[in-house]
Amino acid sequence: MNLFRSEEHARNWAGFGDPQGLLPLDWVRRLWGVAWYRERLNGHFVSGMMDFVPERNAVLKAVTQDRPFWRPA
Amino acid sequence: MADSSLMDQTFHYVLSTMVERGFAPHYTEVARALSVPPEEGKKVLHELMGTGIPCWFHPGTDFIASFAPLNNLPTQYRITVEGRQKWFAQCGFEALAVCWLFPGRTVTVEAPCLDCGELIRLDVRDGVVEKAEPEGIFGYIDIPRKDWRKNLPYS
Repeated sequence: MNLFRSEEHARNWAGFGDPQGLLPLDWVRRLWGVAWYRERLNGHFVSGMMDFVPERNAVLKAVTQDRPFWRPA
Repeated sequence: MADSSLMDQTFHYVLSTMVERGFAPHYTEVARALSVPPEEGKKVLHELMGTGIPCWFHPGTDFIASFAPLNNLPTQYRITVEGRQKWFAQCGFEALAVCWLFPGRTVTVEAPCLDCGELIRLDVRDGVVEKAEPEGIFGYIDIPRKDWRKNLPYS
């Protein structure tokens, strides 16, 4: 998972493959802004992390428009 | 299997230690923090790393290599907080989540673009991107989401 200066730079990269893996920065910010990522230092993250999965998956589905590439399973 | 409280304590200790000093603890430190013998600390740490959280050991060792969102080995994603550059993000995407470890503070992410080597710079505070240079930054991964766990370090 890498950051590039632009979509063009990502597409130029030697490791570029499936274009479905492209995400604008704001989409990355939204995906990595859910409770799964916010709550890591809450002191009970491991025992409670499954509670965060529905929100994480819902945001993932919305942001990526449910593209198969981004489905968790 | 360690109880959930012990796993919570271990997770919190490892991550908060990395936040505080920039590098991960050894299992003997984990043991001391949990008030258990060293071998028990090692066991709990291995169990934690085996839960599927995006963290892993350096292959063939008991040394934490990565513990999301931070990396214990330098990556190209350098993290600076209040003028101190002593952290590295696990990957470009997790770099956006490092801000949650430093609430109320601006986290600067600097990395070279893998295509051209020119600098990418982000200032992120509490989930808000305050500054992004250049404009139009993109993230990219070549692995479908369902396959990330098959090779977390590569993902």
